[in-house]
Amino acid sequence: MEFLAEGFRRAWSLLLAGDSEVLGIAALTLKVAVVATTIACVAGLPLGYFLATRRFWGRRAALTVVNTALAFPTVVVGLLLYALLSRRGPLGAMGWLYTWQAIVLGDVCLALPIAAALSAAAVQGVDPRIRRTAETLGAGPWRTAWTVAREARFALAAVITAAFGQVVAEIGAALIVGGNIRGQTRTLTTAVALYTSQGDFGMALALGLVLLLLALVVNIALQVLQGRGGGSG
Amino acid sequence: MRHRYEGRVVLDFEQFGLPKNGTVALVGHNGAGKSTLLRLLALLEKPTEGHVLWNGTPVSGRARAAARSRVTLVEQRPILFRGTVRENLEYGLRVRDIRHAAADGIIGDVVDKLGLAPLLARRRTELSDGEVQRVAVARALVLRTDVLLLDEPTSSADRAAAGALYRALSAERVERPFAVCIASHLLEDAYRWADDIRALAEGRLSPVTPENLFRVELPAGEGLKSVRVGSIHIAAVTDRAGSAVLAVPPTDIFVSKEPLASSARNVFKGRVTGMAIEQRGAGVQVRADMGGVELVASVTAEAARDLALTPGGGVVFSFKATAVRVF
Repeated sequence: MEFLAEGFRRAWSLLLAGDSEVLGIAALTLKVAVVATTIACVAGLPLGYFLATRRFWGRRAALTVVNTALAFPTVVVGLLLYALLSRRGPLGAMGWLYTWQAIVLGDVCLALPIAAALSAAAVQGVDPRIRRTAETLGAGPWRTAWTVAREARFALAAVITAAFGQVVAEIGAALIVGGNIRGQTRTLTTAVALYTSQGDFGMALALGLVLLLLALVVNIALQVLQGRGGGSG
Repeated sequence: MRHRYEGRVVLDFEQFGLPKNGTVALVGHNGAGKSTLLRLLALLEKPTEGHVLWNGTPVSGRARAAARSRVTLVEQRPILFRGTVRENLEYGLRVRDIRHAAADGIIGDVVDKLGLAPLLARRRTELSDGEVQRVAVARALVLRTDVLLLDEPTSSADRAAAGALYRALSAERVERPFAVCIASHLLEDAYRWADDIRALAEGRLSPVTPENLFRVELPAGEGLKSVRVGSIHIAAVTDRAGSAVLAVPPTDIFVSKEPLASSARNVFKGRVTGMAIEQRGAGVQVRADMGGVELVASVTAEAARDLALTPGGGVVFSFKATAVRVF
C-alpha cells in the first residue's frame, strides 16, 4: 500500500507545483473536449430536435441508427478513422493522422450520437402542446424550436454534460488516431494509461485527479448556467 | 375532407365553413373529433384527404405560414410557456415584431377585459386551471387574428368566470369583428353564442336543428313549471328562474294521431306542416304547427308510414316535462 500513498504524495506535489507537463496535457485535453463537444452539440441538438418532431419516411430507422451509435466502441471508431486518415486512406491527404484535429474528429463521431439521441429524447419529453401553442401563436420553425428547447433546458444541459463526459473520458480513439505524442496529442486519458504502464503511479494519479477536477468544474459551470435560467415556472 | 389517425378515420365530411366574422359553435361529445377539426382549422395539422381553404384558396406552402399568423387556437387544456403571464402575453406579439408601447397598449386592453391584472407577474405554476385558461385566451386575443378557435374555453372555469370570458369576447368583437369557432360539449355555450351550431358525432358533421328551441322567461320557484311559449304553455322541470332557453329534443317527442293516455305533461294537437327524411339515419322529421308554435319530432320511417302522416293532417305531439332541457 506504500506505493499508493507515495503516488498520492507525488500527485499532490506535481499539482501544487503546477508541473508544466501536467498543465500542458490538461490544456490540450480541455481544448479537444471543448471543440469536439461544441461541434457535436451544434450538429447533434438540431438533429435530435428534427428526429423528435418531424414525421418522415425512415425516421424510426434513423432513430435506431443513432441509438445504436450510442454504444459504438471507441476503439472501433478509432480504427475506422485510422483507416480513413492513414496515408493510404481516402482522407490521408489531409495529413490529420496523429494531430489533435484527428482526436477531435474521433470524439465528434462518438459524441454526436449522444447529443442527437439524448436531445431527441429530451424534446420528446416536452409536452407536445408547447410546440403546437408556439405554432398557433405564429412562431416560425426556429422560434418554435427555441421555445421547445427552453422548456427542455435541464434535459438539454444534461445532454451537453453527457457529450462532454464522453469526450473527456474517451481513450480508444484518442490513442489510435492521436498517437499519444508528447506535447502534441497526449491527452489526460492516454497519458494516464501510459504512465500507469510505465509504473509512474504518481504522475498517473496526478493526471487522473486533474481529469476528475475538469469534469467537476464543467458540471458545476453548467449547473450555474441552468440556475441563472430562473425557476421551474 | 377526411382525416385519419393511425389508420382510423376521425373526421369525414364534405365541408365545414367558418364565415368571415361569423360565430360557429361545434357541439359534440368528447372524442367526437372537435379538437382535431380545430387543429386542422388552425393549420397545425394537414388533413389526410382534402384541403383547408382560406378565402377560397387552398392553404399550402408559403401561404400556410401567412395564413397561420391570422388564425389562432386555444386548446382545451392550454399550456403556458415558462416565464410570467406577461411574458406569455407578449409571445405572439414578439413573433409579429410588435414590442414596447404598442404591445403594452394591446396587452393592457385585453388584460382589463379579462381581469388578469393581478396575475401578470405570476408564473404558470402559481395559477389555477381556470386562470391558465383565461391567460391562454388573452394570449390569443392580443394577436388580433381574423379567426379565433376556442376548444372548450370554459372547461376549467366556474359559471362566473365563463360569463366573464364570453362578455370579454363580445366586447372585443364589438370593437373589432373577427370569426370565432367554439367547440363545446355544453349546449348552453353554443346557444348563447353562435350564429350557427354544428354537431360533430364520430367525425361526421350535421347541422343542429334550431327547431324546438325557445327563449323564455322562467317563473321563480322549484320543480314543475308551466312556461309560456307563444300561444302555448310548455311544462318543464327546473329550479332556474329568469331568462333561459328551452330545448325539446325531437327524438323525445311521441307522435300519434289521437291523444295518448300517458304520463306526458305536454300534449299538443296540431297539423303537420312538413315532413323530411333526415340526412343521417333512417328517421323522418315531422313538423307540426301547434297553434302558432312549430314543433319538430323525429320518428322512424316505419312509424311515419304506420301513422299515415301527411302534410295538412292532424297530429298529436306528447313529451314529458323532464324531457324539456333548460339552458
